[in-house]
This record gives sequence, structure tokens and C-alpha cells, in this order.
Amino acid sequence: MTTETLSTRPTTGILDSLREHPTIKRIQSNWIYRYIVFPVAQMLFFIVAAALVMTVIAYAVSIVVPEPRPNINLAAQITKQLPGMIVSGVGIGFVYAMIALGYTLVYGVLKFINFAHSEIFMVGAVVGFEITDRLAASGTIASWNPLILVPFVVISSMLVSGGLAVLIERVAYRPLRGSPRLVPLITAIGLSFFLVDGVRALVAVTRNDFNLTYPTQELEFLKNPIPLTFNGPVVGGTNIGGVTYEQITADGVVLDEWQVEGATYSSITVGGVTLGGVPVKASDIVSGETEYDAVLVEGRDLDDIEDGANIVNIRITVIIIVLSAVIMLVLLNYFVNGTKIGKGIRAVSQDQATAGLMGINVNRMVAITFFLGGAFGGAAGALFGLNVGTVTPYVGFIPGLKAFTAAVLGGIGNITGALLGGLTLGMVESFLNGTLVYFPALGQRYTDIFAFSVLILILIFRPSGLLGERVDEKV
Amino acid sequence: MTTSRAAVSEAGARSGFWGRFPNPTVTVGFLIVYLAVVIGLLLSLDRASLWFSIQSTIVFPAFILSPLLIHSAPIPRTWKAVLIGLVMIIAMPIIGISDSSYLELAIQVCIFAGLALGLNIVVGFAGLLDLGYIAFFAVGAYVWGMFTSTAPTIFNELGILIPPDSQAVAFIIFIAIGVLVAACIGILLGLPVLRLRGDYLAIVTLGFGEVIRIIARNGDSPTNFTNGSQGLLNVGRPPVNADMVARIGELSNTLNIQVVGNLEPLTQQILFYFIAISMLGIILVVANRLQNSVIGRAWTAIREDEVAAIAMGVPLVRMKLMAFALGAAFAGSIGVLYGAKQTFVSPESFTLLNSISILAMVIVGGLGSIKGVLLGAMIVTLLQLQVLKNFSLQLNALKNVDFVVLGFHIRDWPTQLEPAKYERFVFGILLVLMMLFRPAGLLPESRRRLEMTRTNDVPEEPPSDIPGTPNGPANPAAAGVGD
Amino acid sequence: MLLEVKDVSKSFGGIRAVRSVTLGIEQGSISSIIGPNGAGKTTLFNLLTGIYKADTGSIVFNGRSMIGLRPDQVNAAGMARTFQSIRLFPTMTVLENVMVGAHSRLRVSILQTLSRAPSFNRQEKRLTEKATQLLHFAGLAGKGDEVARNLPYGDQRRVEVARALASDPKLILLDEPTAGMNPHESADAMALFRRVRDELGITVVLIEHDMKVVMGISEHISVLDYGEKIADGTPSEIRANPRVIEAYLGRGAASGIDPNNPNAAKAEAAK
Repeated sequence: MTTETLSTRPTTGILDSLREHPTIKRIQSNWIYRYIVFPVAQMLFFIVAAALVMTVIAYAVSIVVPEPRPNINLAAQITKQLPGMIVSGVGIGFVYAMIALGYTLVYGVLKFINFAHSEIFMVGAVVGFEITDRLAASGTIASWNPLILVPFVVISSMLVSGGLAVLIERVAYRPLRGSPRLVPLITAIGLSFFLVDGVRALVAVTRNDFNLTYPTQELEFLKNPIPLTFNGPVVGGTNIGGVTYEQITADGVVLDEWQVEGATYSSITVGGVTLGGVPVKASDIVSGETEYDAVLVEGRDLDDIEDGANIVNIRITVIIIVLSAVIMLVLLNYFVNGTKIGKGIRAVSQDQATAGLMGINVNRMVAITFFLGGAFGGAAGALFGLNVGTVTPYVGFIPGLKAFTAAVLGGIGNITGALLGGLTLGMVESFLNGTLVYFPALGQRYTDIFAFSVLILILIFRPSGLLGERVDEKV
Repeated sequence: MTTSRAAVSEAGARSGFWGRFPNPTVTVGFLIVYLAVVIGLLLSLDRASLWFSIQSTIVFPAFILSPLLIHSAPIPRTWKAVLIGLVMIIAMPIIGISDSSYLELAIQVCIFAGLALGLNIVVGFAGLLDLGYIAFFAVGAYVWGMFTSTAPTIFNELGILIPPDSQAVAFIIFIAIGVLVAACIGILLGLPVLRLRGDYLAIVTLGFGEVIRIIARNGDSPTNFTNGSQGLLNVGRPPVNADMVARIGELSNTLNIQVVGNLEPLTQQILFYFIAISMLGIILVVANRLQNSVIGRAWTAIREDEVAAIAMGVPLVRMKLMAFALGAAFAGSIGVLYGAKQTFVSPESFTLLNSISILAMVIVGGLGSIKGVLLGAMIVTLLQLQVLKNFSLQLNALKNVDFVVLGFHIRDWPTQLEPAKYERFVFGILLVLMMLFRPAGLLPESRRRLEMTRTNDVPEEPPSDIPGTPNGPANPAAAGVGD
Repeated sequence: MLLEVKDVSKSFGGIRAVRSVTLGIEQGSISSIIGPNGAGKTTLFNLLTGIYKADTGSIVFNGRSMIGLRPDQVNAAGMARTFQSIRLFPTMTVLENVMVGAHSRLRVSILQTLSRAPSFNRQEKRLTEKATQLLHFAGLAGKGDEVARNLPYGDQRRVEVARALASDPKLILLDEPTAGMNPHESADAMALFRRVRDELGITVVLIEHDMKVVMGISEHISVLDYGEKIADGTPSEIRANPRVIEAYLGRGAASGIDPNNPNAAKAEAAK
């Protein structure tokens, strides 16, 4: 097991010798450094590192497979898309990281995979919808200051999800502590199924529908992306959920279905930018029997886009996700490493029995851990909902599984690992989303397989993850 | 040893429900009356009645559970055999002739019981939690489907489909092929992952199940192997001949039972029923023999203490692989039957929900207990295919006549709350409640009951090998043998 | 030499639990490995039986290298063991526990199991007979049908020995086999170990803290301290060895001596 469970520092560092230096030590003992500068710098470092690694991989791939399809230069396409892919990768990565924290915190303390955590995340997304929807129904949502609205929604989701996690622990897991490992795991699977349909029943009864569309989609401040100019001719980018553009019009008509060279696609890529599907040129686009002269993508002419307005659209929601995640992670780091309760949690994670003997209330620490994990899941859910727009009670499974992959990738039980794992997975997935379209035999539909394959490979070859300690092979 | 345990269970049975019966003769009499009443009720239910759905939901389970009831009764073996034979070989087909939907249910129960017994080898005997078990079932179904479906697959294009007139023989051969292919895939998957600890193994198998499903869904391009999300249509089945149809017709005339619908599909169903119970029978024998053998004991040892088991010379990975491959083989063979039975194989039949429902069967019945797993399979399958569905039907029937209960108009029941749509809810609750209150299942294996009631106050990970070492041996299992 | 251990080392994350230990075990002997808590005795056993992989060094058993073998292969090669904290299969019967112990001597074939071929039935019958005999040998006659975890502590220790014997070993490693026993039970256990060697011809190696047992039964003693072998010899040589006395007494009696009987141990060690 990793012994530095629930610490936010990597367990092995190349700077070990430097750490011993007195000046360094003085700086390190300063709380601003310990609880703000270091964690933020670490996150920045991970983002940059993950981005760099992705860039290297991207070009390596483009060298190995120079021309996946005629007339498509993979390297050029990647250059165009890279900034967009990085931005979306960071966004999705932080969502994964926040969910992964829930798995990791609980695993660190109880050595147990909380399979129902994906549903805690889903509940967060649904609660976020409920709140914004009620506000929209009362007509007041537009009058809210975004700086209050977003935190309000996120914090509400955190409280509900955290509370739910504590409740689940109390009712379903605590009575089973000490029983064989399979027992709580099966309970968690049961809970996960129960929650999915339970939530569905709740929302379905009140709304007669369980596809929940956030009304915030219509809010001005969320709607318009921030355009960023880059050197390369870059447009748009993929994002969480995989769908970038909601509306494409041709000659003023909204197109529901695309046809390219006779085949029908449900989604499309323009100028190397994924609308989801295959890359095409404006002139290729046919809808039904008609060819169109002017094809507009969310109001902009397709040919203009293709010619390269040097813009990356950064969606506001991605910025919100990153900011919220950074703030919350800094707070979590302080809580775990800087407070007495945090110390208690760490003690329980290392040795439950001894911690109990030392007068630590183990049950309370476990409950707090569940609350923290649940709250992070809930926040991720609300942010995810704000970003993708539509959620359902079934939305938890895939992100949950991927976040678990992220947790294992980083080294389960290790908080820093969850962050690193989430970012890595988000980046790679974003990269695959952007480039698999050039391989018609594969296509984006295999992105999910990739996450599972990563999980399987990691568990087989390095079950302790990137930051976990190397462990002896189990007997 | 065997005798003493049997004696104990016998005594237990006597003190319970069966304790009320003074002697075997009365018990046999009771069982015969029970069967007569249930079969009579089933045959006389009026499907035009408003309450038909509820009635059949009560009576049919009472019938289909009767073989287990008979088996548990303290009566001589011959009587058991006679009564169970009567129920399964004579009564069931007759009930099926009167209403083939019962036959359909019985076949599904057999299919899922076979699957559950296979999963029981992996989870119950060897203690390996496999959440992607349905993938092996899918492999069986696809193996058969790809070579018989008329869908535009590569096999169809190459013209290597099995012609309909040789599908009877091919079916039996393909059951063997399904066993082999599924077992091989089980070994291929198992080799790398069986070294993993239990909960990791669960997640990896879950991922594997999803991967297989995604591959099936996307297996239509660049080469069409699986026909993608549309699935394989018109999958072949062992054909019935005119002679069989005629005989079933005669039988229904003799019994004076009106056949609803066409005779041919009914005959086909009856054929499948007999194939299904034969396969289930074989699987039962196999599972039983495995349990009471060197292999079964080695699995138990692994489940209870891996370190001790390997130190006593039990090769962990090989024995686990054996469990994995045998479980997969069961699923593969049943998959072939399922493909033929449904004549349609699509990726959506092999979701995580299906894996979990099979797990629920094993858990509800009792991990490791063959009889329990049979019971679990019956309960869960009926719940899934009959009870929830019939509740929905009943609800609709009551809505149509604007039934009012306690002032509540059933019509006002929200359509979104149809019971049939809430399988997950039911399975979820079932799993949680079982784990909380009866973790060893409804019919626990005697050993499992002990295992599950074990409360160890010792922390999961025993203290490290070297006192004062911050790292310990980093080996949770081996650390237990520390200094 | 039946077992030759040469320069075997093992570290756990910087802590060197076993440091170039070299020792030999004569065929047909009864030997003990002693040392204070944390001296690396059990780690050494785990290295011998393949549960840990040695960082360096060689282990040759019965003329064959054990390095790189899995625990089950080591068992099949003829080295069986018991555990310090009893590790029976708790819900199996005593007889079944012993039957599992014979696994490496059995033919495990799916086809035979499923067909219930005569050879399968013969094997089951022989196995049951053998297990019953071993229980008899270990003084557990008539207890075969009891669930292992319901047995009293002393009997569980005996089952562990019987289970280890079921694999027809050439060498049996006993890890603190008398821990927690009262003097009477220890004496019985000692008698059992002697019979294992005298009647079955199996070489015995024990890890022990109880000096009465160690001195009473061993023909050869090796002493470990801080992962190193500090002494080696007959019981009388070990008694007189100043390093051994220092290891036991110099670091305080509490850390190294049987808590049940510290004075006796001190006295023994000091002689």
C-alpha cells in the first residue's frame, strides 16, 4: 500500500536533496507556500506537463501515421487542433480529477472502492439542474450575478451530494465494515443501481421526463465562448461531452442530418474541427438532396472558419470548471494537511484500529471523508451539467468509470495522483476525440474503449499507479 | 464428513417447514396436492379477466419453484425424482401448450440459471468477483449468430453461413465451439488480470464487459463482423420437422387444450425447452462434481486464504484461471442457445445491467450454493421477465377500466413510473438488502454461512513485517505472515 | 545438506530485513532459528518458501535452486510450512484442510473430475485415508469433521502441522509452532515434532521464542539479529555465545524474550 495515503505530495521526488536545504525548509514551512503556492504550482505543473506529453504523443502519432486518409496531413491537422484539444482536455481532466478524488479519499480511508460514487456525481448534476430550473421557472435566473449563481449552484450540489454520501455510508457501508471484501463492494453496486432508478423515479414523477436540460444554456454569460487567438489556424475544439456545435444552418435552414459523399453522418468535422464524425469541406456538405452555398456554423460561415480565423473558443464553463477545481483542491489540501481533522483522517487511513485507540473517532473521520468525497463528486456533477447542458440519471456511469480509471492511474489513495490521473486521462481522451476522426476504420466511438484499456493495462503492469509506491507483487 | 453435513441439513429441514409433516407419505401427499392445485389453477386462469396479470404472477412462480420445494422435502430420493420429472417433463410442456408464454419464461429461467451457475463457479466457488460475465455469454451468442444470421455480415458475403437444413447438427457442434471460444477468451483475459486483488479484478472485468459490448456494437466497420448496433437478424435455430409439429397437435387434441396461435412456433418452443433443461441438467452435474473435488476444495482454500493456499501448493493463477475459463465456458454454451432461441443477437442484450442481474441471482440464492443459485435465478428472472412486466400490464389493465382504489384513480399513476422500467431499482435494493441482512443468501451453502458471519475486528491489512518501518512490505497479503 | 542458503538478502523500502544470511540444514535434523522480534526470522521463512523474492543470494533445496519459484512450486519441491499466525482455511473442515495440503501431490484434471473416472474416485479415497492417518498422527483423531475455526487453539496448530505434512515434504518449516501454548501443550507439541522427524523422516526447522522448546529439541541453532546471522551451532555453543547473550539481554529483555516466560529464557540464554 502507499503509505503516503491521503497526502498531496508525490511520494517520490527528484528534489529530495534540495528539500533538506535550510532556506528551502524555511520557505516550505511558510503556510502560504504550503497551502497555496505549492498546490497551485503543482497543478500548473501537471497541466503543463500533461499538455506537453500530449503534444509529444500527438506529433509522434502523426509521424508514425503520416496520411491516414488521402489529402489529410495529420501533423497539420494536429497543429490546428492542439490548443483546442489542450483546453478541452484540461476541462474534462479536472472533472475527472474531482470525481476521482471521491474514489481516492474513500479508498484511502476504508480501502474500499465506493462503486456508488458515480451516482453521487450524477446526483450533483441533477441537483444543479433542479436549482437552476427552479430559478429559471421563477424567472429570476437572469438577474443573478454569475459570480453568485455559479458558486450557489455548485455549493448546493456539494452539500446534497456530500450529505447523500454520508447517509449511504451510515446506512449501507458502516454495518458491513469488517465483513469480507466482496460484501461492501456488492452493496455499492446495488446502491449505484438503486440510486440511478430512484433519481429517475423522482424526476420523472415531477417532470414526466428524465432528460434534464440546464436552463443556464440560455444565459448570456455562459453562452458566448471567449475567443483566443493563436498563431496556428485553429478553430473551435472538442469539449466535454464531445459535442461542440449545437446548431448548423445551411442557407438559413437548420440541418439535422448531414450527408457527405452520399453517406449520412450524425456529426461532422469542419476544417479539422470536430463537430463529431468525419472531416469535410463546406463544399462537400449536402443535406438531403440540396447542396448549399452558405453553410453557417453557429452563425459563422464555414468557409471562413476553414480559411482559418485564428481562434480557439474557450468555453466559459471550462474556465469555471478549472477555477472551481483549483480553489477546491487548495482548500482540500489545507483541510487534509493543515487541520486537526485532516490529521485524524490521515491517521485513520494508515491504521484504523490504532487511530481508534489513540482517541480518534473513527466513525466520524470516515463520515467526514465520505462527505468530502461526495462534495467533490457533487461539485463535479454540477459543473459537468453546466458544461454539457443536458443530464440524465444515467449520466454517472461512464464519467464515474473514467474517473475511477484516473484515480487508479494516479495511484489510488493518493490525492495528488487523482489530479494527475484525471488530467492525463482528460488530455489523452481529448486528443483521441480530436484525431480518431481521421481514421475512418476506428472513429471516435472507440474513445471509451481506450479509457478501459488504459485501466486494464495500468492495473496489470503498475497497479500502484503513477504516483503510488511500487509494491511487491501480491502473493 | 459428507454424511454428517447432510444429516445436519436434513435435521434443519425437518425442524423448519417440513417439520410439520409427520412422515414421508404425508409429505408426498402434500406435494401431490400442491402440484395438482397449482397446475389446475394455471390451466384454468382466464386471460380475459381483469386480474389475470396478477393471478398468473402468483401462480406461475409457485409452479416453477416446485422442483426446488420437492427437492428440499424429506422424502425418498425416488419420489423426488418422480415428482420433479413429472413437473419438468410432463406438466411444464402441457402448461406451455396452453399458453406458450409460460414456456418462454421457463426457457429463460433455464438460460439464466445456467448463466448464474457459471458465474457461481467464478464468484461463489473461487471468490473472484466478475462484473463482465455477460461478455462470455455474448461471445457464445455471437459465435452462433455470425455463422447463421442473414444480416449483411462478411460471413454472409463470403457465403460461409450454415445452411438451414444442417443447423440441427451445427447447433450441437456450435455449443461445443461456444464452450471452447468462451473458455479461450476467459483464459486470455484471466492470464493478466487474475493476479489482481479482488476489487480491482471486479473493475477490470466490468471494463472488459463494456469493451466486448462496444466492439460488438462497432464491429460493422471496416469489415462487418457483427452488424453493429443493428444486431444480427434471423439467427438460425435447430429446426423442427413436420412430424414433431403433428405430434404436438395430436397431444393438444388428446389433452383437449386449445392452442393459442400457430402450432409450429409452439413446437419450436417445446424443442428449446427440452434443449434448455438438458443443458441446465448437464451444467448442474458439472457444477456439483466440480464443487466436490480437488478443484472445488482448492477454490475454497483460495477464497478463504490465498497466501495459505499457495503455500500449501495450490497454484493460485492456474486454479483461478480454471474457474474463470469454466465459468466462461458455461456462459459460452448458454450463449449459443440464447442466440438460437432469440433469433436476434444485438449488443444491447449484453449490458452491465445483465451482468449485475446474474450477479443478483447468485447473491440472492447464496454464493457457492448450487441450490441457492437455482432459486436465485428463478426469483430474479421471474422478477425481471414476469413480475415487473405483469405489474405494468396489470396497471394498464386497471387504467383502462378506470379502476379506483381508496379514492385513487389508477389512471392517474404516472406513466413514467411503470414498474417494468425500474429493473435497476429492484435489483439495487435486492443486492443492498441481501448484503445487509442475509449476505449468505436465501439458501446458503453451510460453509458460506460461516464465512459471511465472520466478524473480524482485525484491520484488513495486518501490521507490517518490520516494526517501525514506514513502508512495511507493501504487500497486504503477505504482511500477515510477518515477524 | 538438504537446504543451503547462501548470502540471501531482502530489503523493504530501505530497511534491510535479511542481510546476507548463510545457513545450512542437514538432512534429518531438527534445527531452530531464534532471535529477537523483528530479527527477520519470518522474512527468512517467506524467502525460503517463495512468498518473498530474495534480492540477492541463492537457496538450494535438495540439490535444486528455489530462486524464482512460486510458493506452490516450492511446496511441490518438498518444502512445507506453517504460519506464525494460524492460517487455516477457517470454514473448511479439519479433514478438508489437510486434503488441501496434499494438493501438489494430486492429479488435478478437469476431465477426470467431471467424468468421475475410477482414477478420480481412487484418488479421493486414498486422499481421505491419508488425511485421516495424518490427523491420527497429529493427535486429532476423530476431529476430522469439525470446522477448523471452531477448534481450540492448540488443536489448530496441530492441524497446521498435519496440513503441511500432507504434501509429503522433505523439510517442514514451523513458524513459532508453540506460541501461546501453555508448558504442557508445548511439551506435547515438542513430542509431535520429534515424531515428525523420527517416524516420518522429515527434516524440521523451527522458529521459536520459547527457549525450553528450542534447547530441548534442537540439534542445531542459528541466531538472527537485525537481519544478520550472528551465531550458529549446537545448543550448548549458542548458550555460551557472547553475541547471542548481548542480542537478548543487551537490548532489554522485553523486546526479545518470550513474554510468557521471560525469566526462564533469560536464564537459559545467560547460561
